[in-house]
Amino acid sequence: MNKENLVGILLELSSTAGVSGDEAAAVKAARSQFSLYTDEVKLDRFGNLIAMKKGEAPPSEKLTLALIAHIDEIGLMVTKIEPGGFLRFTSLGGIDARALPGQAVVVHGKKTVEGVVGATAPHLLSPRDRAKTVPFEKLFIDTGYDDQTLNNYVRVGDTISFIQKPLLLETGKRITGKALDNRAGVAALIFCAAELTGLRHQADLCFIASLQEEVGLRGAITAAYGLKPDLAVAVDVTHGDIPGVDEKKAFKLGDGPALGMGPNFHPPLSLAMQQTAKEYNLPFQVEPIPAHSGTDAWAFQVSREGIPTALLSIPLRYMHTTVELLDIDDLISGGRLLARLAARMNKSYLGELRGC
Amino acid sequence: MTLKDTLKKLTEAYGPSGEEKEVSSLIIGMVKDNADDIFEDNLGNLFVVKKGKGPKVMISAHMDEIGIIVTHIDENGFLRIAPVGGISPRLLVGQRLRFNSGLIGTVYHEKLKELKELDWSKIYLDIGAENLESATKSVKIGDLACLDQPFKEQREGRYMAKSMDDRAGCAVLVEVINRLNGELPQEACFVFSVQEELGLRGAKTAAYRYEPDFGLAVDVTLVGDTPKAPTMAVSLGKGPAIKVKDSSVLCHPAVRRFMIDIADENCIPYQLEVLTRGGTDAGAIHLTREGVPSGAISIPCRYVHTASEVVDKIDLDYAVTLLEKLLLSTWPGTEGLYSR
Repeated sequence: MNKENLVGILLELSSTAGVSGDEAAAVKAARSQFSLYTDEVKLDRFGNLIAMKKGEAPPSEKLTLALIAHIDEIGLMVTKIEPGGFLRFTSLGGIDARALPGQAVVVHGKKTVEGVVGATAPHLLSPRDRAKTVPFEKLFIDTGYDDQTLNNYVRVGDTISFIQKPLLLETGKRITGKALDNRAGVAALIFCAAELTGLRHQADLCFIASLQEEVGLRGAITAAYGLKPDLAVAVDVTHGDIPGVDEKKAFKLGDGPALGMGPNFHPPLSLAMQQTAKEYNLPFQVEPIPAHSGTDAWAFQVSREGIPTALLSIPLRYMHTTVELLDIDDLISGGRLLARLAARMNKSYLGELRGC
Repeated sequence: MTLKDTLKKLTEAYGPSGEEKEVSSLIIGMVKDNADDIFEDNLGNLFVVKKGKGPKVMISAHMDEIGIIVTHIDENGFLRIAPVGGISPRLLVGQRLRFNSGLIGTVYHEKLKELKELDWSKIYLDIGAENLESATKSVKIGDLACLDQPFKEQREGRYMAKSMDDRAGCAVLVEVINRLNGELPQEACFVFSVQEELGLRGAKTAAYRYEPDFGLAVDVTLVGDTPKAPTMAVSLGKGPAIKVKDSSVLCHPAVRRFMIDIADENCIPYQLEVLTRGGTDAGAIHLTREGVPSGAISIPCRYVHTASEVVDKIDLDYAVTLLEKLLLSTWPGTEGLYSR
C-alpha cells in the first residue's frame, strides 16, 4: 500500500459517521479494507470488528497477537425536541462545549437530518455573558424543521455526528478532519495488515476495530475476554505539539509514533517495540504515562488472567474537535513498526519477553 | 396480592447495600409458588428461573437501597455516619434512620454559620443513648441503617415511599413472575440483585454465573417534569421508559428496537430515556464475558435518592405489561443482531 492509498482510506474513514454506540457505517467502511488483507472478517457479540490473519506456526507453537484500535468517535445524542423544532442534546464521549457553536451536524433519525449547533448571537448577549463560553445546556440544534415535522423524523436517543469534510493540506502529508481520533489508528492497522501480505509471520494476528471506547473502553472489555490473545498492542492517538502546550506533554508531528511506557504496559513488550523500530530505522518517540492511559490498553491489560499489552499512539493536534490534524508519515511508520513486530513474534520470542 | 401491596411491603423493608436479606426473604415468599427454580449466589443475589426453550434472558432489578454506615460513637452516645451509595447529607437532616435491629435514630447537624457548610463531618445520628456505654449496647461501628418512611398513596395511583429505587423494579418483576405460566419461548431468569448502588456489583457476578444471551434491567429513572428540572424528556405517568443511554450503558440498538416494536404492537405507552447521569444493572450485564446485548425498562421516579421517592401506577402497570409481553415474544435471533 502506498501513501496515496493510505490517505484515501483515512479520508474515507474520517468522513464516515460512527459515534459511540452507532458505529455501523464506519465498521462497514473498515471491514471492506480489512477483508482485502486478512483471512476472515467477522463481528463479535458486542459488534467489534475482528479481522483474523493466520500465522504459519504449527499447532503446538500457536500464539495470538491482538492489534486493537477503536473505531468510534465522539458525538451527541438527542435528549429533547422542543417547541419550534430546536433539539437539545447530550454528549457521547468527551465533548468540548467551547467547540460546538457553529458546527454543522447530522442527526441519524428515521431519516438523516442536517442541522447546525446554534447559540445566542453576540449582539444579544450582555458584555459579561459575551466573554463566557456558552454552557452545554444552553446549546441547541436547528434543523430548519418545526417540531411537528421533526417529530416524524427524529426521536429522543437518536445519535448526532459532526459534518466535516476532511482535507489533505497542501504539504501533501498532513490531514485535518473529524474522527481522526481514532480512525487514524484504524487506518494504521489496515496499513499494517497490507504490509504483512509481503511478510511471513508465525503468530495468528487479530486486528480489532473496537466500539464504544470513548464512553469507557466498553468494546475492548468484551473483545479482550472473547479473543484471549497472548499479547496485545493498542493503537490510538496522543497530543501533538502546538504553541502554548508544554513540549513534555506533546509529541512532534512527523517524528514517528509515540510508544507508551508506564504501569499500563508490559515493559519487555514495550521495549521490544522500541528495539524493533531501531532495527528497521523507523522513527519513534517515547511517551511516559504514569497511570490510566485512557486507551483500550487499559482494558486489555487486566482481562482474564492479564494480557501483556503495549500502546502505540499517533501524534494528533486539536483532539476532540472537528479539525484534528496529523501527519500521514506517522501512520506509515507506525503501521510498518506493528508489521515488523508481528512478523518477529513467535512462541520463543514471547517466552523471552515474559522472562521464562 | 396487588402490585400496590407488593410495593408497600418491599419499600418498607430494610435493605441497604450489603444487607439485602430481608428483601430477598420477602421476595422468595412472594414468588416461590410460581418459580421453576430459585437459588441465591455467594453475594446474595436471588435468582428466580422460569424455564423455556431457546436463548436465555436475564432480567435484573436491584434489591438494595441507599443507606448509611456508623463510623464513630462518641462518649455522649452520638453516632457519626458515612454514606452507603449516593445519598446527600442535606437530605438526611431531620430524617429517621432504621437499623436492622429495629432501632431508630434521627439525624441533625452541629451549629453551622451557613447551610452550605453542611457535610458528612457536620451531621450526627441520635439514637437516644445516654452515653457511649448505653449506645454500644444497641449499635456497633460498621452497622448499617436505611431511611425509615412509611409507604403512602398521595392520591389514587400516585405512590410515595423510600427505596422506590429499586423496589419498584422488584415489584414489577414479582408481578410478572406471578403472571407468567407455561413454557416461555426463551428461558427467563429474574435476578434480584445486590449492591447496585455501590457500582452494579451484584449484577456483575450474577451475569457471569448465568451467562445470558440477553440482558434487561428494570430500574427507576429521573424525570424532567418538575419545576426547573434539568432537560429530560421523561415525565411521570406517561408510561415506562425504554432506555437508550445512561452513564453505564448504550443499550443495544437491536434490543431497543425489539422493545419498541413490542410496545407499539401491544399499544403500550412508552417514553425514550436518555439519562445523562447514573447507571443501572444493564451496564454490568452488557460487559459480561464476551458481551451481552442489553436493554432496560425504566420507571419514571421523582426525587430519586430521597426519603420520598414518587412513582405513578400507570407507569408501573405498563412496565409490567411491557415486560410480560417481551418475555412472551420470541427475541431476535443472534444472526444479524450482533451486527447492530
